[in-house]
Amino acid sequence: MHNIHRVSNLFSTVIWLILVVLTVATYSIDLLGMSRKLTMLMILAITLLKSQMVANFFMGLSKTKTLWRGIMLGYFLIVGGLIALAYFHASH
Amino acid sequence: MLAFGVLFVAYAFARADDVELFNQSQLTLSRTSGLINTLVLITSSYFVVRGVSAIKQGLSDKCAHWLIGAFLLGGVFVGIKIAEFSAKFAADITMSTNNFYMFYLSLTFFHFMHVLMGMVILTFIILKVRRGGYGPQDYVGVETGASFWHMVDFLWIILFPLVYIIR
Repeated sequence: MHNIHRVSNLFSTVIWLILVVLTVATYSIDLLGMSRKLTMLMILAITLLKSQMVANFFMGLSKTKTLWRGIMLGYFLIVGGLIALAYFHASH
Repeated sequence: MLAFGVLFVAYAFARADDVELFNQSQLTLSRTSGLINTLVLITSSYFVVRGVSAIKQGLSDKCAHWLIGAFLLGGVFVGIKIAEFSAKFAADITMSTNNFYMFYLSLTFFHFMHVLMGMVILTFIILKVRRGGYGPQDYVGVETGASFWHMVDFLWIILFPLVYIIR
């Protein structure tokens, strides 16, 4: 039992570190010198990854029914998709 | 979350109508403050995860320590946001200044209120944990408070790039 918690804590620590790295990547993505559209898509992809990591591993949804994970993923896909649509619309 | 979702999308479409105004106004924000606040919230969420793990093992003291750490980081977030809001108000920037600031101030203030609410919830949980009110068989209250805190983190993870980074 003690080992299970130790592994679980180690896993949470790894997730936290990945989230930190992805956050710094979002902040410094301009340095890559990509086009604005590609930068926006990259940031949205990173944000999708981060939000799902928080939902699945911090909130613990990975241990629940698919429906709950689907709601959180669907939320981001709808909101993120509409944001991307608005940004593409703006650039035309 | 639905209200935030609607505001996020409304921000993106409002920006589409006046890209230059939004891009110029966005440059007045401190991206570094946004970065620090994101790291602070992610770390506080991690502390809450460790707090839940500790209470599941019956380690009340350890749980309280992790949750106090999360609470203090919430305080750091609040402090940085107050400094940001103060700087904007000192520069005579209000919600009426333009559409960007209307969205920026309403979105971040709405989120700020959720952080404060999360801190109140964490306080009640910490007090109950210290009284021995939770244990390995009864930790639903801790998990529920933790979920609220993670939700606040989840929303900021979208808000940060949307308002501070994407141009």
